[in-house]
Amino acid sequence: MENMIKLTGLRKAFGGLEILRDISFTLPKGNVLSIIGPSGSGKSTTLRIITQLEKADDGNLEIAGETLFSSVDGKAVYTTPDKERAIGLKTGLVFQQFNLFPHFSVLRNITEAQKAVLRRSKDEAEEKAISLLRKMGIADKAKQYPYQLSGGQQQRVSIARALALDPEVLFFDEPTSALDPELTREILKVIRELAEEKMTMAVVTHEMHFARAISDWAIFMDKGVIVEEGTPEALFGDPQEERTKKFIASFEE
Amino acid sequence: MQDLLVQMLEGTVTSLEIFFLTLVFSLPLGFVVAKGKMTKIAPIRWIVDLYIQIMRGTPLILQLIFVYFAPFYLFGTSYDRFTACILAFVINYSAYFSEIYRSGLQSIDRGQYEAAKVLGFSKAYTFFHIILPQVIKRILPALGNEVITLVKDTALAQTIGVAELFRVAQTASSREFSTVPIFIAGVFYFVMNYIVSRLFTIGEKKLNYYR
Ligand SMILES: Nc1ncnc2c1ncn2[C@@H]1O[C@H](COP(=O)(O)OP(=O)(O)OP(=O)(O)O)[C@@H](O)[C@H]1O
Ligand SMILES: [Mg+2]
Repeated sequence: MENMIKLTGLRKAFGGLEILRDISFTLPKGNVLSIIGPSGSGKSTTLRIITQLEKADDGNLEIAGETLFSSVDGKAVYTTPDKERAIGLKTGLVFQQFNLFPHFSVLRNITEAQKAVLRRSKDEAEEKAISLLRKMGIADKAKQYPYQLSGGQQQRVSIARALALDPEVLFFDEPTSALDPELTREILKVIRELAEEKMTMAVVTHEMHFARAISDWAIFMDKGVIVEEGTPEALFGDPQEERTKKFIASFEE
Repeated sequence: MQDLLVQMLEGTVTSLEIFFLTLVFSLPLGFVVAKGKMTKIAPIRWIVDLYIQIMRGTPLILQLIFVYFAPFYLFGTSYDRFTACILAFVINYSAYFSEIYRSGLQSIDRGQYEAAKVLGFSKAYTFFHIILPQVIKRILPALGNEVITLVKDTALAQTIGVAELFRVAQTASSREFSTVPIFIAGVFYFVMNYIVSRLFTIGEKKLNYYR
């Protein structure tokens, strides 16, 4: 199977403190990867480097066959700014805090980048937005402003906003952590539907049952390294490492 | 009486000129100053910080005198009072506006920049279409206060002999032993500020459609 993401030897330090040490994984096209791990283990930073919100210190990253950075003499060397932008358009990121644009209507939140970045016509962008909102079950909210929506609805808008640019791979950084259980279910349902459509995704989550149910592969990170990885059945059902066992057990009451 | 009105009208025009010219230059310059205060380049930041401290820490009346007379004492050259007045107002108000802009810029959540970056918006597009509109909404009340202060501050231009409204009113008042001219001037400042605050209220209402 073709790889959407091929990451090897990723390193990252903040102010001399190494918080990612030799992270490697691959994400095949059409697969769902879940990343679990305790707070501060580097999950967000990993996603933020792949989506270009942070720079890698060292390592190699290929996204849909294009090299974003590669290791030269122990340092990550990035491709040209033009290519960085082009690769950036292949990736989408959904944030824990939604980060919708409060001054734009729901519709405009979803059309703005289509028009300004992809140069789509207004009609085309709106058609796309409406069909995505329909898919998210919130087509009636198109004219509203983010503050008028529940957290779950806002998160669905932000997923629609990311999908509108037709990314090849979508990342979620704790998409339900700001939501109460009922709204969490709404969002998990949306992500599950995307998985059924074979959207390539990587999800950082604390929803263990959900992660186990939807992913093809699961990674457990701690203190900047991948401690253990495997199929969800293996990682959640029969973890080998002591740290993994402890972490997963802590979610089971 | 006819003469007095004509004089006061001329004074009013001068006051309005000071007001508008100051805004035209210091509103955009304030942004440059705010950027300077937020730069990673330490020496620039220190200099800009010192400049803001001086502008905020000393009276505008002193700054006016300094800007007008310093070239004379230093180089023996003098220049147009009106130009000096505008210069002093602009450097003073740019400092105040910059602090308002800075607080507005810093109040915007980092997530807004990150969402914009991930969606592929350019830096310029992000600033003008995503960040700036939100900043303007947040700083409008503070900006309104500052502009109202500016209307009243224009009266300080008389210190260096600019014939703005208040100076004209004062001169006329002592010449004719009457407080009427002063009163007329007072009405002008009041009306002017009434308009200014109405405009800002309208602006704030217009931006009320989101939170
Ligand atoms: N910009 C930054 N500057 C300095 N340190 C940072 C920065 N971003 C993250 N860190 C540190 O890097 C480490 C990993 O952070 P990261 O956010 O990737 O962890 P995480 O696994 O996503 O945790 P959480 O579950 O709490 O979201 C943490 O110790 C964090 O404090
Ligand atoms: Mg995180």
